[in-house]
Amino acid sequence: MQKTFEITISGQVQGVGFRPFVYSLSKQFQLRGSVCNNQDGVLIHINASEEKATNFLVQLLENAPSISIIQSHKISEIPFQEFDGFKIIPSEAKHQTNIPLTPDFSICESCKAEIRDKSNRRYGYAFTTCTNCGPRFAATTKFPFERSNTTVSAFKMCATCQSEYINPDDRRFHSQTNGCPDCGIQLKLQDYDGRQFDGDHKELVKKTSDFIRKGSILALKNTNGYLLCCDANNKSAIERLREKKQRPAKPFALLYPSLERIKKDFNLSATEENALTSSVAPIVILNPKKSIPDLEQDGIAPGLNQFGVMLPSSALLTVLMDELGTPIIATSGNVHGSPIISKESEAIQKLSGVADYFLHHDLEVTFPQDDSVFRFTDEHQITLRRSRGLAPNFLNMTPSGNEKILAMGAHLKSTFTFVPNSHTYMSPYLGNLDSYDVSERFQNSIGQFEKLFQTQPEVILIDAHPQYQSSILGRELAEKWNAEYISIQHHKAHFASVLGEHDLFDSKEKILGLVWDGTGFGEDNMIWGGESFTYQNHEMERLIHFEYYDWLAADKMAKEPRLSFLSILPNAEKEIARKKFSETEWKVYLKMLENNPLKTSSVGRLFDAVASLLGIIDVTSYEGEAAMLLENQARMYVGNDEVDFLAGVVFENIPTKTIIQNIHQAMVDGFSIPRIANSFIHTLARVIFNIAKQHNFSCIACSGGVFQNAVLIEKLIKLAENSGIKLKFNRILSSNDENISFGQLSYYQHIKK
Amino acid sequence: MPKLDFDVITLGHGSGGVLTNRLLDSGVFDLLKNDILDERHDGAFLELHGKTAFSTDSFLVSPIFFPGGNIGELAVNGTVNDLAMCGATPKYLSLSFIIEEGLPVKEFWDILVAIKFACEKAGVQIVTGDTKVVEKGKGDKIFVNTSGVGPIHPKANIRVKNISVGDKIIISGNVASHGMAIMSVREGLEFGSEIKSDTTNLNHTILRLIELFGESIHLLTDPTRGGVATVLKEIAQSSEIGIDLFQRDFPMDEQVASACELLGLDPLYVANEGLFIAFVSESVADAVLTALQEDENGQNARIIGSVVAEHPKQVIMESAIGGKRVISMLPGEQLPRIC
Ligand SMILES: [Fe+3]
Ligand SMILES: [Mg+2]
Ligand SMILES: [Zn+2]
Ligand SMILES: [Zn+2]
Repeated sequence: MQKTFEITISGQVQGVGFRPFVYSLSKQFQLRGSVCNNQDGVLIHINASEEKATNFLVQLLENAPSISIIQSHKISEIPFQEFDGFKIIPSEAKHQTNIPLTPDFSICESCKAEIRDKSNRRYGYAFTTCTNCGPRFAATTKFPFERSNTTVSAFKMCATCQSEYINPDDRRFHSQTNGCPDCGIQLKLQDYDGRQFDGDHKELVKKTSDFIRKGSILALKNTNGYLLCCDANNKSAIERLREKKQRPAKPFALLYPSLERIKKDFNLSATEENALTSSVAPIVILNPKKSIPDLEQDGIAPGLNQFGVMLPSSALLTVLMDELGTPIIATSGNVHGSPIISKESEAIQKLSGVADYFLHHDLEVTFPQDDSVFRFTDEHQITLRRSRGLAPNFLNMTPSGNEKILAMGAHLKSTFTFVPNSHTYMSPYLGNLDSYDVSERFQNSIGQFEKLFQTQPEVILIDAHPQYQSSILGRELAEKWNAEYISIQHHKAHFASVLGEHDLFDSKEKILGLVWDGTGFGEDNMIWGGESFTYQNHEMERLIHFEYYDWLAADKMAKEPRLSFLSILPNAEKEIARKKFSETEWKVYLKMLENNPLKTSSVGRLFDAVASLLGIIDVTSYEGEAAMLLENQARMYVGNDEVDFLAGVVFENIPTKTIIQNIHQAMVDGFSIPRIANSFIHTLARVIFNIAKQHNFSCIACSGGVFQNAVLIEKLIKLAENSGIKLKFNRILSSNDENISFGQLSYYQHIKK
Repeated sequence: MPKLDFDVITLGHGSGGVLTNRLLDSGVFDLLKNDILDERHDGAFLELHGKTAFSTDSFLVSPIFFPGGNIGELAVNGTVNDLAMCGATPKYLSLSFIIEEGLPVKEFWDILVAIKFACEKAGVQIVTGDTKVVEKGKGDKIFVNTSGVGPIHPKANIRVKNISVGDKIIISGNVASHGMAIMSVREGLEFGSEIKSDTTNLNHTILRLIELFGESIHLLTDPTRGGVATVLKEIAQSSEIGIDLFQRDFPMDEQVASACELLGLDPLYVANEGLFIAFVSESVADAVLTALQEDENGQNARIIGSVVAEHPKQVIMESAIGGKRVISMLPGEQLPRIC
């Protein structure tokens, strides 16, 4: 008997080709009815027997578009209605939105095939997209995801595109970003002086690739913002880029033309391959095969043995890399700590001193995003930066209650998390808030979210550090919106982020939280950074920390590993560090150490100290450099004779100075640097398990920037095998301060006050 | 120094009785002698006409003697400069001491002498005062308070609300010297060579500028506690204007710069004493700068920024290597923020 059923599908179901998919499935089932987007996701009405409706739903859930994410579905019978055929109903203009925003998707294989096909009308068209791929969040102006609510609406579809758009049998049926060379987004190639070059997409891309081949620096506008590019095998081009970007040593990412080419140069696991070719198309940190002949390795990642590699995420990058055929450097288009640039005028103003040529296009980017960055140890994913392809949703968590909350995050790796409805929205990584431009982008993004959801927060969560720009801003916003503001300790927020990511707040057993990072403002006004907590029954308490040592010279200590080294060395042994300082520095620092009130338990600085002690680096040029170089040394160790530098040491708080003393002894004893570096990380892994055993924990949750260290993670996973102890890490979120905003939210919602 | 039968100051010296008189009679009155003070009445009889500025400040500094000065001249210069920042000619000061028992008389005397010379240099008179002594542990050697009055110069029109978009911001000299001098002695830090406090009176310099440029000088301020950054941020917030600064234009003594660098301190937050910041009309900025540079207190003067319509209430500094930084007020010590 014919009945009418209503099906609601929620999750990431808009802007992913869901309605066309439902349409074609209904044709297969020969159903009459309708489909539309609404405030909860996708709403379907069908006339069918109960059995057919059930089958339809099963098929629908099983074969949903690969880039969609279904969080929940509902089916119910409603009063009978007669439908005439099957219709896609356009979205209602005004309603309260309660759905995830759609992230950007990297170019799909079908679109790639088309732009490579000489006979296809999109041959070489640099903005080819379909219902399965293309920019979404980057071009969003309003809810829900309809062409009129994106900046693509500035381009009027030509008759051919329009006919694709309305043809249910076309793969671009209802493709909101549809366009072609005749009606779509245009490229503009200029030199730094503004002189423009003529040609169609194919010709302009060819010229661009010639410039790169000849050693020029290109500022290229991808669909998520500008990239700075140059030949990855041209030493002087890379040096010039480093000099102009004022980035002396921080590694550059590589853009490769094809997976095959990546496989030729790197050892690639299946997990890594999956990530590279996923709709996120992130930068993945890879291990190279012995040597890569046509890559300027020292210039790309000085002192490191791993490289960040990605595949073209857009049609533009695909045509360019097809043309080039060799890897290039592709780094975010910005200068010195500013956010990624996405406006043509700003690019010209700020990058004219850097780039020789500009490849602009005329699609307005509303939410610029950096490329996301991952690394893997076996199956385990370490997120280094969560941005394009992932932001702005956090689908793992349904907020409890209906308070509207804004969490402001930290300072150096800023993000914010907004809860305007029953979803959690997490901004992409926005950068260091010291920078005015980042701070502006941060504020504007909050404003954009406020507009998108047409709602203001009632509660604002900030870090307990009074001088974080995000804390200052949070207090200002609280005043402006008449919201309550609440400050949350940095490391507790880190811990809460893992608990939230793994939904562990209702865990029956107690959980050990290890939060190791560079710095965070502690509850005792000291600089925390080597913390362990115990979590049980919605309460969190500090348990054990690294023994305090002196924090010297404000932010300078984080930039100069030699200062951490000097600080941690026991008084009687400070002489060891003397040669790293000038006469004046030596006198001044020793004097300052005499009655320095500010102490720290930072593990990040302990890594710095060890790096300095081992002669790896004394003064860094980018954040995390010492830890990366140290990890690189540790990775070079091939033996299996690691030393536990705290073996036999009985301690309450972890004896920072003993570790340094014993490492120094190992150096005196002639141990190799890789072995010591490896043993140091081994020691830290052992410390974690010793604490767990000593205090009877069977679940450990780790967070903080230190847990981006792949060697440490590998060792922990190995130690956990057959130990009965479960390990939890940040996975979708980065373990560094990017997760603070989400952690603040989790803490606020789940920890008893 | 007068001959006395005691060499440290005790509680009795603040009682107002015989001992107090012996301390004061022994030379304070003599040293600071002037007609008004000599009346020795409960208060001073002053003749003031027209618009008058009135300011007060208390001085606590440790150590009380430091390279380039001591707490005494700091106390005179501080109030003299505050009056000058109002566009006033400082005339009369009050002077009060809170002394912790045990202060050597010799040190007290040295402070008094410094006060005398600072007054002479600034052209002001101490006309009334007070002395109290507190128990050991209830003070820190000596606290000094000065208050002062002086008539506003007829050409002066100094108000935060006079600041307008386009104004140039001029700094009269090197930043951070005072704070670093204090810190180096307090912490016992030996830098390459000695860093001296910049404490001095600025009234002559400022009145000359007012004489020359009058209403074109919109605002004057001395970036003492909290440094240049804090003062400018306060102005931006209260007047709702935006300020753009250029780091490369900040004059700084090389020694001070390297000491700040060494300690990881941002010189913009370090205290100054003999320094002022002027907001002036764009049209006279270069002329003010030239005039200032001819003055002994302005040889290192520089234009460090301007008032802009963008980003109201915010102070933004373009760094020497490009990139812009948000300048905020520091509620306390500079704490590390890098994770
Ligand atoms: Fe952190
Ligand atoms: Mg004052
Ligand atoms: Zn596609
Ligand atoms: Zn078209």
